[in-house]
Amino acid sequence: MKGSLRTRLTRMGRRAMAYWRRDQLHRELEEELAFHLEQIEAGEGGSGLAQFGNATLAREECREMWSYMSLERILQDLRYAVRMYRRTPAFTAVSILSLALGIGGTAAMLSLVNSLLLRPLPYSHPERLLRITGIFPRAGVRYFQEQSRTMEVAAVSAGSDFNLTGSGSAVRITGSRASPNFLSVLGTSVAMGRSFRPGEETPGRDSVVIISHDLWRDRFASDPTVLGRVIQIDGVGREVVGIMPAGFAYPSAQGRIWIPMRLDPSNFVEYWGTEFVPLIGRLRDGATPGEARQEVPPLVAQFRGTFPYPMARDWNADSTAIPLQQDILGDSRGKLIILLSSVALVLLIACANVASLLLSRATTRRREIALRAALGAGQMRIVRQLLTESVGLALAGAVFGVLLGTAALAIFKSLLPRSLPGLEPIAIDWQIVAAAGVLALLTGVISGLAPALSAAQVDLARTIKTGSQKASSGFWTRVRGLLVAGEVALTIVLLVSAGLLLRSLYQLSQVDLGFDPAHVLTVQVSPNPSYCTQRDRCIALYDRLVERAAGIAGVRAAAAANAVPLDGQLPLIPVNVEDYPKTVDHPAPMLWFGAVSPEYFGVLRIPLLAGRYLTRADNARASAVAVVSAAAAKHFWPNQNAVGKHIKASSGQDWRTVVGVVGDVRQYSLSQGLPSFVGGALYVPYSQAAGEDGRMPAAMTLLAGVGSEDLRVANAFRQLAVEQDPNVPVGRAQALEEMVTGSIGDFRSTMRVFLGFAASAILLAAVGIYGLMSYWVSQRLYEIALRVAMGASRRRILSLILGQGLQVTALGMLAGILAALALTRFLAALLYQVAATDFLTYAMVVGVVSGVAVLATAFPAWRAARVDPLKSLRAE
Amino acid sequence: MGASKRTSELLPGTLDLLILRSLVSGPKHGYAIASRLKQVSDEVLQVGESSLYPALQRLLLNGWVKAEWGASENNRRARYYSLTASGKKQLVLERDEFARMVEAIQKVLSMA
Repeated sequence: MKGSLRTRLTRMGRRAMAYWRRDQLHRELEEELAFHLEQIEAGEGGSGLAQFGNATLAREECREMWSYMSLERILQDLRYAVRMYRRTPAFTAVSILSLALGIGGTAAMLSLVNSLLLRPLPYSHPERLLRITGIFPRAGVRYFQEQSRTMEVAAVSAGSDFNLTGSGSAVRITGSRASPNFLSVLGTSVAMGRSFRPGEETPGRDSVVIISHDLWRDRFASDPTVLGRVIQIDGVGREVVGIMPAGFAYPSAQGRIWIPMRLDPSNFVEYWGTEFVPLIGRLRDGATPGEARQEVPPLVAQFRGTFPYPMARDWNADSTAIPLQQDILGDSRGKLIILLSSVALVLLIACANVASLLLSRATTRRREIALRAALGAGQMRIVRQLLTESVGLALAGAVFGVLLGTAALAIFKSLLPRSLPGLEPIAIDWQIVAAAGVLALLTGVISGLAPALSAAQVDLARTIKTGSQKASSGFWTRVRGLLVAGEVALTIVLLVSAGLLLRSLYQLSQVDLGFDPAHVLTVQVSPNPSYCTQRDRCIALYDRLVERAAGIAGVRAAAAANAVPLDGQLPLIPVNVEDYPKTVDHPAPMLWFGAVSPEYFGVLRIPLLAGRYLTRADNARASAVAVVSAAAAKHFWPNQNAVGKHIKASSGQDWRTVVGVVGDVRQYSLSQGLPSFVGGALYVPYSQAAGEDGRMPAAMTLLAGVGSEDLRVANAFRQLAVEQDPNVPVGRAQALEEMVTGSIGDFRSTMRVFLGFAASAILLAAVGIYGLMSYWVSQRLYEIALRVAMGASRRRILSLILGQGLQVTALGMLAGILAALALTRFLAALLYQVAATDFLTYAMVVGVVSGVAVLATAFPAWRAARVDPLKSLRAE
Repeated sequence: MGASKRTSELLPGTLDLLILRSLVSGPKHGYAIASRLKQVSDEVLQVGESSLYPALQRLLLNGWVKAEWGASENNRRARYYSLTASGKKQLVLERDEFARMVEAIQKVLSMA
């Protein structure tokens, strides 16, 4: 029945109407037919019509015509499916739950991957945005802006902390320095006010700031008159010129302010040293990413030649231009892919499980299906009915899955850095719900196809005649065995991954930190940098704070330091070393720079290896001294005594005498200690400290060794710092142990998620094995009874079934081990001191899976061994 | 869509055309349509209720005819079908189509 679009629409409309008054339609049809038949009998109308045809058929055809047949049939199938679900609640619950787990997890991961990896950045023509890899001094910003023919270049610093004072209580916020063109290069604009103007990078014109929507809302109550107002950032008055739209998060989600990056060639240290910055570029019209990639290395090489001090020959030698989105994601990209694959594995396992369960049910339903076939249901009809059942299960799974997915999304999000732009607003949206729906349809069809096909192959006559439910063909039993084996294999992959991460975590927990974080409290005190232009004032402040902190009841000792281990900071200083020749490749070695009060080593229990610790006598007026870490000593003076040698900051004038060597400390990361380009640590007395720019670090962390980290001491400790100066932001008191744990927090949660995956996988596999074996036993009751009747011992039967179950498991394990060996390589970046092929992990996993397999087989085997031969034989 | 056609010896789709044509002279009930077809065709076209009523329903569904209950010649309640505007249009269309078809068939039959 075709027709023009209009006719088709009419038809649809009428059918919809008919649905509500179909009883009337049927009545009218009946009446009409009755009239017709009457007329025939009466022989009226002259022509004498004879009864011609079949009234019932006419009735049915008319009814069909008015209904959405396909829809009605689906509804009918669904009603029937629901009846089946009710009859087997355990099966239904297991299937729906496992599919919900798989679909929910996959939906959550898909929403992450979609938002972070696939969806273009929220800027205009995001495909034309590039990042020039490596970091460059500010001079490089100007150089690339002037020299690049393929890109318009901007710089946005990665972000550092600033004091916001004078508007409410003093707070510490994260902000970036940016070249004035950064918004136009990114391809976005302020929501209110204006962007930076060209020229605002020059000193004297740079007292402006753009604030984030969050800051505007939280600190300024969304008051638009904040535009034009001057606010105090690090003690410098800056006029608020722009407010960014909500959701703008470059370079990080934590960014609250953007200030112009000053480009001042007359300020040598700032222009060529201190903070190196990343460069981003927007392709000029007509330029291609390939051209940009080709342009970068020669530009970097030329720029290297313009440095006023020697630069390593290999400095930024591998610089190139990569898509900005890839740069923003960084390491998270690999993690996303690993997580998505793992959660997809769980879904696959769930699929295999449901397929296997359905397959066994299809066999036990052979009689019912044969009956339906006998009553005239075509093969397609039966396949469709069974597919409806599995798709229905999957759809129910999807509904629960989307609910689960919301929770899963929160967990997955915690595995990625919080600073990742665009991460926070990600939620399960309608797209993902639609994707979950499609996933459900797919899983339904995939898991239902084999069972449906197997059921449709019913040999009518035989099944009904014998009345037996066990005339299942060997082929489908083998398919089922393979499904379960596949489940076991996938489970092994997930278990091995979880095991490797668990081992890594254990290794990390065994790392020698080089200090003792137990019973140490920390609190960050951050006066404006200008506060320390008068060195005496700053020294006095921290002397006072340390002294008072030590006086708090319950505090054993107190110290101050510019950075504490594992707090995320990486203070570095390029140094010159006596007797250590500079080479073209290593012109200025980098060291971790610790400006510490003498009590620092005692509070953290960092061991002394040679010479002496710093003391109170090493003050501003005493001769310049330093303590180096064992790594630095070994690096610069191998096989010599470091004590008595001399070292100085590259930018400074005075040589320092090394007075002691202390143990190495995991300052930056638990796994690595310090980045590979850092040769060790240099500690100087705070009162003598001068950073690369010659100034002393203003923001310091107070440390207190305490008897126990109780709240009262922590509060008193923090209060002390707050009372010193209300204009100085004070962070929260934090236990050092908490910071150590926090530094591997995302690793821990990654491992937990994998453990979750592995646990659900093994549970599903256990259900799969159990289901397979129970089914196998029920199919062979007759045979088993016969064996028992002929004298087979119960132990013989037990081992027969166990052997059967373990055979399937062993096959799966073998495949799983091979797959794991091939796949866990991709996990290598997440592992710590564990090979991806770690034998112990594999052995344990095989042990666990075997154990679970034995348990899952034991119950059906036990049942088989207790078969009463008389009863079973008679039943057949 | 379960609308398979059972139009006995008629060409597929022809029954709809015949019904539409028989309604040109005015509203008729089902029995009258069948009688009329039989009579006019010198008893060649015998349309049974199993094809007639589904065809009428189909036409209703497509909006080409409309139905009203009325009194029959012997004062019984009967459903009278009449052409709608789009039904008339459809009749012209199908008629042309049928003519083309017949012409084509004849050409084939009368080929040398």
